[in-house]
Amino acid sequence: MTRTARAFYWMVIPALVLFAVFHTLPVLQGFYYSLTDSPGYGAHAFVGLRNYLNLLRDDRVLDAYVFTFQFAIVATVLTNAIALAIALGLNARIRLRTTLRGVFFIPNVLAILIVGYIFNYLFANALPAVAQALGITALSSNILVNPDLAWLGIVVVAVWQAVAFNVIIYLAGLQTIPGDVREAATVDGAGAWRQFRSIVFPLIAPFFTINMVLSLKNFLQVFDHIVALTNGGPGTATTSVSLLIYQGGLEGGEYAYQTANAVVYFLVIVAVSVFQLRVLQRREMSA
Amino acid sequence: MVRRKGVNWWLTALLAACSLTVLVPLYFTVVTALKQPAELAGAGFDLPDDPQWGNFAEAWRLTNYPQAALNSALITVGAVLLTLLTNSLVAYAIARNLHSRVFRGLYFYFVSALFVPFPIIMLPVIKQTSALGLDNQLGLIFLYVVYGLAFNIFLYVGYIKSIPRSLEEAARTDGAGTWTVFWRVIFPLLAPMNATVGILTFLWAWNDFLLPLVVLSSPSARTLPLVQYVFQNQFSSDYTTAFASYLMALAPALLVYLFAQRWVISGVLRGAVK
Amino acid sequence: MKPTALALSVVLLAGGCGAQAGDGRVELEFFQFKPEAIETFDRIIEEFERGHPHIDVTQNHMPTAENAIRTRLVKNDIPDVIALNGNGVFGELASAGVFHDFSGAPAARGVSPPIQRILDDLGVHREGEVNGLPFASNTSGVIYNKDLFRQHGVEPPRTWTELRAAAETFRSAGVDPFYLTPADAWTTLPAFNALAANLPPPDFFDRREAGRVTFAQAYPPVVSKLGELFRYGQRDRLSRGYDDGNQAFAQGKAAMYLQGSFALPAIKQFEPDFELGTFALPATDDPEATRLVSGVDVALTMGREPEHPEESMAFISYLMRPEVMEAYAEEQLAVPPTEGGTSTDPALAGVMPYFERGLLTGYADHRIPLTIQLEQHLQQYVIDGDQDAFLRTLDAEWDKVAARRS
Repeated sequence: MTRTARAFYWMVIPALVLFAVFHTLPVLQGFYYSLTDSPGYGAHAFVGLRNYLNLLRDDRVLDAYVFTFQFAIVATVLTNAIALAIALGLNARIRLRTTLRGVFFIPNVLAILIVGYIFNYLFANALPAVAQALGITALSSNILVNPDLAWLGIVVVAVWQAVAFNVIIYLAGLQTIPGDVREAATVDGAGAWRQFRSIVFPLIAPFFTINMVLSLKNFLQVFDHIVALTNGGPGTATTSVSLLIYQGGLEGGEYAYQTANAVVYFLVIVAVSVFQLRVLQRREMSA
Repeated sequence: MVRRKGVNWWLTALLAACSLTVLVPLYFTVVTALKQPAELAGAGFDLPDDPQWGNFAEAWRLTNYPQAALNSALITVGAVLLTLLTNSLVAYAIARNLHSRVFRGLYFYFVSALFVPFPIIMLPVIKQTSALGLDNQLGLIFLYVVYGLAFNIFLYVGYIKSIPRSLEEAARTDGAGTWTVFWRVIFPLLAPMNATVGILTFLWAWNDFLLPLVVLSSPSARTLPLVQYVFQNQFSSDYTTAFASYLMALAPALLVYLFAQRWVISGVLRGAVK
Repeated sequence: MKPTALALSVVLLAGGCGAQAGDGRVELEFFQFKPEAIETFDRIIEEFERGHPHIDVTQNHMPTAENAIRTRLVKNDIPDVIALNGNGVFGELASAGVFHDFSGAPAARGVSPPIQRILDDLGVHREGEVNGLPFASNTSGVIYNKDLFRQHGVEPPRTWTELRAAAETFRSAGVDPFYLTPADAWTTLPAFNALAANLPPPDFFDRREAGRVTFAQAYPPVVSKLGELFRYGQRDRLSRGYDDGNQAFAQGKAAMYLQGSFALPAIKQFEPDFELGTFALPATDDPEATRLVSGVDVALTMGREPEHPEESMAFISYLMRPEVMEAYAEEQLAVPPTEGGTSTDPALAGVMPYFERGLLTGYADHRIPLTIQLEQHLQQYVIDGDQDAFLRTLDAEWDKVAARRS
């Protein structure tokens, strides 16, 4: 081995060892625990696939997956639609571009948990008061305590926070489009929407792909928002998979069982991400 | 002629109106933090009659703010510095050897960790950090640096690939070894990407909640978000103190952002293009 | 870099927990779950430290204490002295063998045997062990506003019919009969427990465990009466939580409050300008059949193999002194778990006869595994009022958990 090659190996080996010890090893331990009945401490016994079989029969787990997907899909679509619209606006001929861009990015520097507490108060007190004054009965009580509407409150906070980052990604995408390409389209007299669909969107499609994949992946792991807003309630209406694993695994003392749930969740996230990449990349190609 | 410089005032107004969705909750936080409890009735968007600066003193004392802010600052600064120094090095070695099967395998090994949800490793990590005496600020720094590898290697490798090798070869012919080449030639060239990684690591470590919640043992090690969580039921219905505390917890990141706004946004923009 | 590293090591040293300080002082971590009692414990600790200059006790209060204590167990980092609510989790942890065995310890002597039995019944590691000491007992039922009762000529009800009549009287007078706080799901439990303790047959849980009866068969009266009580709440009840409730009740915003005695100090903190009273929630029309729900509010324990056995035991022994327990009980409006212990507080006078006559019963929710999330389902029920769905869920969850644990 040359000296250069040896140096390259020494650059990665410590990181590799640490990563293996602090990430890969815990993953393997997690897999192992999912085959036991451990509450996380004390003695435990090997139970084979029993936890996985019980998962299939547990409608609370199923409910959590349904909620999580419903939330994540709606939040992903909204975040990307709004972020793309704002990015297009910021990229147009407007005044105060830098200031507005700066304002739209603010939510991204704030801790979700604290933002959640603030919105919790807004939903419980300010919004109902405003709605009552305006005579909007649907919003005149706290939406977070309504089992049918609480998830929308979480969507609002999640989108509010996530749009900030996605706007920047889309802006980056829009800046890669050469000015004369857009100019040509305008001169052609193509309508704004047609111009967007036929010229702009195909050029920023890779950014759309990455945003969709990352947003969905992040939203599928939603946790902080829910802790601050509803703690999974009312009832169990807004219990996400992450929250269920945390609550059931620690509070409920069913650590091994919920770790089996986490393994399934891992496989689901990988499957969804791969599927999304495939579909979106095919669209990029054909577009 | 096409009107090239025409300003679209309608769009400007529309976007300004949209930006209120960001500003109004922040405004609300500020005025609520300055009110007396009796002023909270109604929607609460009005200005306080007589600003209660004492709310901040109360929140400061109750949550032991200096301690929590110092913890958050140390963890964040430590995580950012160590991440920049180590993750870029690992990425360099990988980026320059992607032709080798071993290094390409390593690349996918690190990056694939992006898809592992935290709950799987949560309890094993709790056990591990505690057994090693890392259930403190140092342990958190360490975990951010190690877990950050997944995304940062992805960012750095993309960037390093675009740096021409000729620069390194020139240094090599002058007799510099691989390490020297990295620190003298590559690391300075990475400055833009270092900014990106630094900003993203800063936001992550500063705002994180779940990892400090499960890893930290001692109350004196608590970070700002964790303190808000712990004191949530000690604030009781004293919402004005609670909001003062939220505002103080949000303020440092907000201030840093206000002063470094262009730099932060261009940093994130660069991360996106790569 | 250097100043950062230095500052960091300073903080880390300062933050090192439970360590033996250099001058022979021992630091003890006192982990406790009760937000209402933080200041009371601070004072007790201060006095203890005055008598034990070589021991430093640091109080650590965490929200969702059950979660936090389990995290600590996973870390194998058990706090030196632990105060937990005597509930199902306590029993589960005790059975798992993580707590010390206090049998024969002098500190255990002052406790009244029936109260000790309530705690032991939750679960012990091995037959005959004592894995925790009752430090304070509570009662659960109805707290009422004596002024409002007097103004509207209402006597504390002794039967279900009288309770309903009282609620009607208040409602027609424009006073909210109950202040309800289901935004914090657990606050639905006191009323549930009182009804569940008095309506179904006493051996219900044994028979449920044996699979010979279901909630759907035995619990409809509990659930329908609970629903009825919750219809007498204030208009914005669904958005209000425990803290809001304590404050609002102290402001005289409702006549009754369905809570345990542990809420009394929290209400008093808001300085109500009226007198507080309590009565046992009457679930039937036979006043003699009513049993008062009472349990161990605070149980003290320490790890099975404590790091500082002598110092931890010294602190526990101090806490378990009758005069300390009585002082705590007086301040926190609890009942000391000593032999013949009663409370002289006028707020608790209404329920003391039940103590004197031994007409007590335990918390039904302690018999329901936590992972079932009873309180979450109760919250759902008081929102949507769907009795059948609630009972079906409870039975289904029970069977699933039983199957997972068999």
